[in-house]
Amino acid sequence: MRNRATTTLTNPKIRQSWSKYNLFNLTRMRTPQTSFRTHFQQKFKAKSIARAYHGEQVRESQWQRMFSSRIRSVIPMDPYNLAKDDGAGAAAGRGSGLGNKISRAELSVQQAKQYIPFSQMTFAPLERRLDVAVFRALFASSTRQARQFVIHGAVTVNGQKMRYPGYLLNPGDLFQVDPERVMFATGAPKNKSERREGRALRKKKSEGEEATEAEAKEEDSAAAEESKEPAEAEAKDQPKEDPRKVLKGLMAQAKGIMSTGQDVLPAKRKQELRGFQKAVRRVLSRSASSTVLTDNLESQFAELTQLLKAKRAEKKKGDRKEGKEARSPKSEASDAQKQPGAPQGAAAADEAQPGEALTEAFRQAAENPEQEPDTSELSDEEFDVLKRAMVQMRDNPIDHSKPYGTPWQPRDFMSAFAFVPRYLEVNHSICAAVYLRHPVARPGASEVPSPFGEVVGTGAFAWYLRRR
Amino acid sequence: MPPRIHNQRVTNTLLPYLSSTSTTASSPSISRLPSTSTAPNGSSRPFSTTPAPQSRKWRTDMFQWLAKEGSELKSHVPGRTNYLTRLKERRARGEEGANSKAALTHPFPLNPYFSAENILSEELRNEIHARVTGRNKKSVRAVSVELGVDMRRVAAVVRLVELEKRMKSQNKQLALPYARAVHEMVPTTPLHKENRRAHESINDLPVHKLTNAQIFHPIPESRHFTRADAGRVFSAAPAQDLATAAATAADPTAAVDRATQQPGRIERVGKGEFETQVLQPAEARIPHPHLVALERYRLAHSEEPRESNKYYRTRLLEQERLEGEQRAQAAAREEQSTNKVAPAASRFEFRFRDVEFSEETVGHDGRGSIAPGRRYGVPSEDRKKGQVKIPTSVVV
Repeated sequence: MRNRATTTLTNPKIRQSWSKYNLFNLTRMRTPQTSFRTHFQQKFKAKSIARAYHGEQVRESQWQRMFSSRIRSVIPMDPYNLAKDDGAGAAAGRGSGLGNKISRAELSVQQAKQYIPFSQMTFAPLERRLDVAVFRALFASSTRQARQFVIHGAVTVNGQKMRYPGYLLNPGDLFQVDPERVMFATGAPKNKSERREGRALRKKKSEGEEATEAEAKEEDSAAAEESKEPAEAEAKDQPKEDPRKVLKGLMAQAKGIMSTGQDVLPAKRKQELRGFQKAVRRVLSRSASSTVLTDNLESQFAELTQLLKAKRAEKKKGDRKEGKEARSPKSEASDAQKQPGAPQGAAAADEAQPGEALTEAFRQAAENPEQEPDTSELSDEEFDVLKRAMVQMRDNPIDHSKPYGTPWQPRDFMSAFAFVPRYLEVNHSICAAVYLRHPVARPGASEVPSPFGEVVGTGAFAWYLRRR
Repeated sequence: MPPRIHNQRVTNTLLPYLSSTSTTASSPSISRLPSTSTAPNGSSRPFSTTPAPQSRKWRTDMFQWLAKEGSELKSHVPGRTNYLTRLKERRARGEEGANSKAALTHPFPLNPYFSAENILSEELRNEIHARVTGRNKKSVRAVSVELGVDMRRVAAVVRLVELEKRMKSQNKQLALPYARAVHEMVPTTPLHKENRRAHESINDLPVHKLTNAQIFHPIPESRHFTRADAGRVFSAAPAQDLATAAATAADPTAAVDRATQQPGRIERVGKGEFETQVLQPAEARIPHPHLVALERYRLAHSEEPRESNKYYRTRLLEQERLEGEQRAQAAAREEQSTNKVAPAASRFEFRFRDVEFSEETVGHDGRGSIAPGRRYGVPSEDRKKGQVKIPTSVVV
């Protein structure tokens, strides 16, 4: 099938795509003119605009067969109202209810809230298609790409490979896309130097020296072990490091990692990342609980900040007194946290020492705050940087064999299109989603994602009602 | 006809000498002569006499927009949506507009009816899974009410988390950085331990096809015309006799229970293929009718909140027990009606079920849509237009 889903700038059409051209066309889009147009012209225009977005990959005759004038809608019900009232009040009097003393203005406001946008649901049957659902679940950057994923066999429905993009999902169907493809579709592309590295890697592989691979593997594993063991050893060697200094160094490294753009040589970035990784390991190895390194990121981060006595900088209005008050309960809390850790066993005992040294150092700092007033206070931004650097270190490594730029970053302008409609329940970490039900309209909202307003929706609905 | 030469467009470096009205008075330097890329009016084709196409103008505009205004949309801001509507609202109403609800929830500026709704945060998702499958198991219905999440979504979350666990145990690669990025871009519902906020409305009443029609139905003013009566009018059923109506009014919960627990016993109207159930009132058709019963109990016993909690729990347990019983009965019936034959040398098991051959079950010609062998002797229609030839369902 020829790809007619072009996003041209002259004669712009809105597509189901995250392309920047599409975004620009979206900014330029205006509601089509209706004045001085015949009804036929209005409907034709509306349907042609809408069809460029909704299922442009579907033939017109195919879509006409799918179209249904029956629109699904729901009304949210309040159990309290249902229990209080059996509905007789609504039919009382002369049929419009008794005691209905709402003024006209209020009534119109109420009606506007209760208004159900049926005409925005014209293209709801298309949302059942597998390719559209894959796009809506944010697994592909366009419906065309989603379609390609399906055809190339990267999508399973209920655990079975499904190669038909036109498969209509049934409520309860679970579809899953290969995570690697999703990372490729939604990630930023490689830059020049990354591509070059990738080529070099492939060349090396194709030369077929298995020995080198084995060596590399050994090296890797050795490096991993190395980074663990010496870290612990170092921690034991120099337990009385100033937490502020450590934090400062860590922050600098994190900032370095996060700020270096794609223009820096990948080898250098790799080096920086490894350095940061080592530093974090070193700090965390002081922690009393041994599970922190394998545990989830949040607890790791909490542990790290706690060990370093770092905290979010409050607004500057707080004077030194307040700062003292704010600090003292924290140190108590850290002491309280240490105590349950202490009776854990002999393994914890030897590592508790540096922790205590740290608290001691911290206490000293709290007692005479004139020395270095603000070094361990981090701004929100710095916190964020530190956190993100840790995330990147753990599950976003540099790997030039991947088809996307590493470390993975969302592609440009993805956030402008990022939303998940309610009829899907998506688990993004495994790239799987469940089609819960068909999209419905409800008072004031429609579940079919459409960039067009009422004029287009109504016009298109009226066009297809004719069943030509 | 060749395109006309527009004076402004022609940027030949010799032009200042040729035309008497030279716009650029500066003397042509050596450096300007070969430089075609840095033409004075910004054109990339200084020797061309053809006017630049419209598309190039748009292209220039686009890259300008992307560099200035649009650069805000280029990368996401963690914890906040970053939609085009925000830019538009800011231009229209300033900072107030940029932080309005519409700016933060509407991805498409022209469509106020579609808004990006919250997705479940990871903690909430894990909590749902823990409550459904954990040590003290709760039913999907109970968890749905507790956390304000639709029952179908609860079931889906459990499936997805199970799948995630399986993939983790198999050491399959997950898309973690991608998932983190998405959860930063899209609004999420956090897990609140103390003050629980609903994720979505759980008592959605689907609009029934029969209620789309407007019916003029005159009744005496003195008649107590309830929702149940309206349902009967919509499905063209005769009015309830007085005794039944009085019984329903006396104990509305029992009437709803009859409809929800024994849906096969609901009164039917119409003949032949037009036979349908009588449309039930809203309290019997919503996903959580037991909440209405609870509210009724609360209204009747407003002084005893503990009692109402107890009532709710016992009702829920009773309902679960009934549902389990019905499921077991259905399975037993199915088991009884199928005749299983497993030949010794075969790896298959054949299952036969008796068919009742009557006009109701197989149609007047014996080829009804649910009849076995309905296609026997009938030519295949798969070459006809509009026949679906791809799979229509995938059985797990």
